[in-house]
Amino acid sequence: MKTETLYENGDHKWMVFGRDNDKPDLIIDTNQYMVVSENNALLMDPGGIELFSAMLSAVIKEVPAQKITHLFASHQDPDIISSLGLWDLALTNATLHSPWLWEGFLRHFGMQNIEFDGIPDTGARLQLDGVTLEFIPAHYLHSSGNFNVYDPKAKILMSGDIGAALEPDNSPMFVDDFEEHVQKMKMFHQRWMPSNKAKNDWVRRVRRLDIDMMCPQHGRIFKGDDVGKFLDWFESIEVGLTNK
Amino acid sequence: MSQTDSNYFVGAATIAAKLDYATKVAHQLSLTASNARALTLRAGQSAAGFRPLTDAIHRLSDITVSSSKKINAIAAQLSRMSVEKYRADSAIRYFDAVYEKSKDCRNISSLDTVYKRTQEQQKLLMIDYQQRIQQLSQELEAVEGELRSAVVLKTLCHVEASQAGEQYKDALDNVAENVERISGTIKEQIVFSRQQVATLQ
Repeated sequence: MKTETLYENGDHKWMVFGRDNDKPDLIIDTNQYMVVSENNALLMDPGGIELFSAMLSAVIKEVPAQKITHLFASHQDPDIISSLGLWDLALTNATLHSPWLWEGFLRHFGMQNIEFDGIPDTGARLQLDGVTLEFIPAHYLHSSGNFNVYDPKAKILMSGDIGAALEPDNSPMFVDDFEEHVQKMKMFHQRWMPSNKAKNDWVRRVRRLDIDMMCPQHGRIFKGDDVGKFLDWFESIEVGLTNK
Repeated sequence: MSQTDSNYFVGAATIAAKLDYATKVAHQLSLTASNARALTLRAGQSAAGFRPLTDAIHRLSDITVSSSKKINAIAAQLSRMSVEKYRADSAIRYFDAVYEKSKDCRNISSLDTVYKRTQEQQKLLMIDYQQRIQQLSQELEAVEGELRSAVVLKTLCHVEASQAGEQYKDALDNVAENVERISGTIKEQIVFSRQQVATLQ
């Protein structure tokens, strides 16, 4: 499992974990993210059961297990959070933040120790010591209960499945040629995202945020101008059920 | 139960399913007992010898229904416990892999608490699991013993049926056959379950 630091300023840190060489074939490659503050850490979309050992190994290289006090699941998919039952045994004092809509479903993965904090449809904030994180609604993109995580200080948006691309497991971590990258994103967005209305509303809201880096759960991270290019491209395409 | 054998929870679930079926069949025995009682009342003096036997069928049915319910509850608990244990076993395996991969990691000791906690949980589950297995074995043995009386009961029912009037003979013979058939079906589930329990120990 590769680890890269995306942002670092004193105790405030963003990291990405992914491109695991030992990942079993035929399971989709995923990016996991972690925000670290002075005394706490938030693990975002921690991944599936198959990745658990690799993820836990990678994470404790960075912080002690007890420091992971918060988990975030953007939605209910297995590649996002099917490892929950194992994190439930691995963490001593943690809260899972996830759309309220999915609580009864997520508990099927096993959650006896971790506390559940349902994020209301309109979003919420999470304070990690001096770091403020915002849960930005992204419903129907693709899941009907779905959030992104925005860090206004680090100017990073963890965008979940938005911006995801399907490409080989050993691909670079960052987008280097946007035009070429579009081909790897097109089918994913048109097939998995069901609603143009939800998409355009999200683009309108996200344009107001100050973003240096947009971090999807699959594929590559967008930096600088590529963030704006993505928003323009996403706004321009038709997704899901259309009149055509 | 070996810690690496993941089939034990399937075995426990199979036992629970068999015993759930046995409970349902045991209710048929209760119905047979009620029918037999109604029949002897209608037959009056001509089936006088059959009447005490209906009490015995009722007794067998009550014991079988209550035992089956009790055994079924233990088996269901065992099945849940097996899944919980499987989860703890899996976590230990994943943690072991992390310890192996991250030997030199400075934070590796931060896992010691949860590793120990999961091991303790695994140990407690194991003790509880073994106790339930033992309890299940004893209960299965007891109900199997009770079901042995069904053969005697059937023979006695046939004898009494042969002495009843022609009008009721077939119906009373039918009661005798039902007692044997239903008891036999329950016994099959019990014997199968006992064999399965032996593999879980």
